[in-house]
Formats: sequence, structure tokens, C-alpha cells
Amino acid sequence: MSTAELRIRQRRGALALAGRETRRVLSLWTQTILPPVLTAMLFLAVFGGALGARIRHIEGLPYVSFILPGLLVMTVAGQAFANAATSLFQAKNEGYIEDVLTAPLRPWQLAASYLSGGLLRGLLAALIVAAGSVPFAHEGARPELAALALVLTGLVFSSLGVITGVWAETFDQHAFIANIVITPLALVGGVFYSARTLGQPWATLTRLDPIYYLVDATRAGLTGVHESPVWISLGLLAAVAAIVFSVVTAVIARGWRLKA
Amino acid sequence: MDLDRSSQALLVDRLTKVYDDGTRALDELELRIPAGCFFGLLGPNGAGKTTLIGVASGLVRAAPGHVFVFGHDAVGDLAARLLVGVAPQEVHLDRFLTAHEVLSYHGRYFGMGKLEARERADELLEAFDLAAKAETKPNKLSGGMRRRLLIARALVHRPRLAILDEPTAGVDLELRHELWRYLRRLHSEQGLTVLLTTHYIEEAEALCERVAFIRSGRIAAEGTPTELTDRFGGQRLEDAYLEAMRA
Repeated sequence: MSTAELRIRQRRGALALAGRETRRVLSLWTQTILPPVLTAMLFLAVFGGALGARIRHIEGLPYVSFILPGLLVMTVAGQAFANAATSLFQAKNEGYIEDVLTAPLRPWQLAASYLSGGLLRGLLAALIVAAGSVPFAHEGARPELAALALVLTGLVFSSLGVITGVWAETFDQHAFIANIVITPLALVGGVFYSARTLGQPWATLTRLDPIYYLVDATRAGLTGVHESPVWISLGLLAAVAAIVFSVVTAVIARGWRLKA
Repeated sequence: MDLDRSSQALLVDRLTKVYDDGTRALDELELRIPAGCFFGLLGPNGAGKTTLIGVASGLVRAAPGHVFVFGHDAVGDLAARLLVGVAPQEVHLDRFLTAHEVLSYHGRYFGMGKLEARERADELLEAFDLAAKAETKPNKLSGGMRRRLLIARALVHRPRLAILDEPTAGVDLELRHELWRYLRRLHSEQGLTVLLTTHYIEEAEALCERVAFIRSGRIAAEGTPTELTDRFGGQRLEDAYLEAMRA
């Protein structure tokens, strides 16, 4: 078999696995899409509707408009992570990952295929929330900037999800990362407040949280308001995404916790 | 050496595998399985059968340059994966897919086109008497059906070497004979090389043209059942096996 033919077969294989992952997301939509959309909508309803009138504007924005970008980032991050981690953990735990591991796919193709489901789940949920939030849109918004930040969010957290899925040997370990690392990072990443309003050391701690930059860049895209230089944030986040993806590829290539 | 490698369906050259916990599963193992042969690998639990199969199919880590499938390095050359179809000992099937999809997705993971994979899945479901269960998910199938689906899955991408790791372990006598019928047909009609591991000596005797005994990660003896019986004495392969394990 020629190298070109092998490449074609590998490409088809990767697309098939990505198709399987995206199909899983869509067929389980009551578990994968509906809950995060409802959660984000409830956040908007509670903070925007019930409490929003009592909270002063932040950075010149109505509170609901201020928190919307962060909620989108939280949705993408949480769902991208959960999907990639759960799907890989299930495949590994139930043993059917061997079907994929015996296939002639290159490690980066395996990684990208598993990432695709997380990316779809996170972005689809965020898109629905965003569509429902059109009334809070601002003039002069640059949605392409927000879209880029959300895609980077999906890439980073899907990759972390794949690493967690590979690492976790029990469901508790899998849940531990989601509950103890991802959720707290999202909550202290400047979703609900501006880092500029915080005293020290909280302002600095917030700025050490990578999610802060994702939220800030998304907010810049949706509202024009931001606290850090947007293109530097996006550049750094692209670098983080590339590094995390390289780690995922290396982990799969080595067969760590996947192969005996 | 290259010519020699490509004339063998599986060539194992001084393969050693030590697991992270220090267990030496394979110890400079040497094995040659000629193309087109129905080959049996017999040995007690822990002898290294599943480890050897894992290395040949990409499920167990090993250094490159020791295992060759039709001349392709099983560890370093991903093209080797296309030549091997493996039915592992444990039945693990994707529970999100139907029986038909288990087969068609497998074909696509191995680079088949969508239509080709679907047609191949239809063909194999028919061949393994599973056509009526095409839209059933694996967890709703009986144990025997799941086992047949697993073997069918190994064959979807038209491998030249089928590796079946204890395909009849834990199945009743009736199903075992049914599986034997499938395996014989596979070998004779498609000219497939088959590597079968089993604990049932009579199974190896009934199916295999050549047999190797594996013990403590090494091949203790190899030959046709008659050669092995002649060499170790006794009336049946079972006697030769017991003698070889004692030696």
C-alpha cells in the first residue's frame, strides 16, 4: 500500500471517529445540550431579570450584558471538557476503545476526533444561549472575535477533557477534575465581576486564571468592553490551545493508560 | 531477511515485554506463522498469549522492530494495522451503536468508504447469522450473538491475518461448534491466515494446521499436531501439550 493510500484511509478513519463523536452528542441532546442551555438561561434570568435591576452597571454595561460573555465561555468550557472526558472515559472503561486503538489512525487524528465532539457540544450549547440573548446584543460588537475566543475555549477544554478521560481510572477521578478544577476556575474567571473592581490579592489571582482571558476576549467581541489587550490574550490562548493539543497527542502516542 | 519477513503472516523476532509492574510477559519470544495457515497458540493463563496478540494488533506497547505482519513492522508502521483483524478475548462493543453500525464504523475507522463499509457490514451480518439483529444494540444481544459480532467486526476491513483470542472461552458446546464452522469457512473460503488462541486442546486439534505451545513468555514447541504428538509422545495433542508444559 502506498503512503498516499494509507493517508487517505487514515483521513477517512479520523472523519468516521469524529462523526461518531458528534453523533453521540446530537443523539443524547437531552443530556448534552439541553441542561447547559437551561443552566445558562437560568443564570441570565436570575441575574439579568430578578437581580439585574438592583446591581449597578459594570464597566458601563448593564449587568446582564456584562455576564453574558462569561456565561458563554463557562458553557463552552464546561461542556467541551465534560464531553471529551466522558466519551473517552466510557470508551476506555467499557473497553470498546480497543476498536479505535487497533485502527491505523495517527495519534493527532485520534486526539482531534475525540476533541470534535466536545467542541460541537460546547459551541452548539453556547450558540443556542447566544441566540436567546440577542436582546442584550450591543452595537459595535465584533461577533467574529467572540467566536474565535469561544472556539479557543472549546479547543483548550476539549483537550483537557481528553487528558482527563485518559487519566481517570474511576468515575470519581473524572468528576473530581470537573468539580474541583474546571468549575471553580470558571467561577473565579471574571464571569460575574470585573477584576478592576477587586482589591489585592484577588485581582492578581483572577488574572492568573486562564479563563479570565477567555471571558475578557469574548466580552470584547460581544460588547467592546475589555480589561486586557485582546489580541495578546487571543494569541496567548492560541498558544495554550496548541500546547495542550500537543500534550494530548503525545499522551495518545505514548499509549499512557490506554495501552498495557 | 526482508523477503523472509514478508512471506510470513506474522514474524516475531526476540520480542520481550515487561509490564510496568515488572511482570515479564514475553521473554525473547520467537514465532513464525506462514501466510494462509490456521495456527493455534496454546498455553496456560499468564503464558503471554494475549500480550503477544496485543503487540501484533497495537493494543500493547512494545519496541519497534520485533513483530512483523506480512513484512510491516507492527509497532512502527501503521499500514500493518490494516492487515490485522483482532477479536479480543473480552467482548467490548460500542453500546451507542447498533450491530450494523458496530461493523460499518469499524470499517470506516480502517479507511473504508461509507457505502463500502455499509455493504461489508450487511455481508458479514448475513454470514454470521446476525442480519435479523442489524438494528439491535450490542447490550440487547445474547452472549453468543455478541461473540459472533465481535468476530465479524475483526473481519470488516478484510484483514489478511485474523487474530482470535480465545473466541470460544466460556461459551456452550453448541455455540462452540457453530463458531468452529464459521472459522473453518473463513479460512477455507477467504484464504485468511488465522491465529487462534485457546485453552481447549481439542479445538486446536480440530481446527489448526500448526500449533505452538507457549510457556512463561517463550515458545516451548511448534509444529503440526502430528509432529508435536510424535515429538512429545502420547496419543493426542493434549498429551503432547501436557508433556511440553512439564519439560
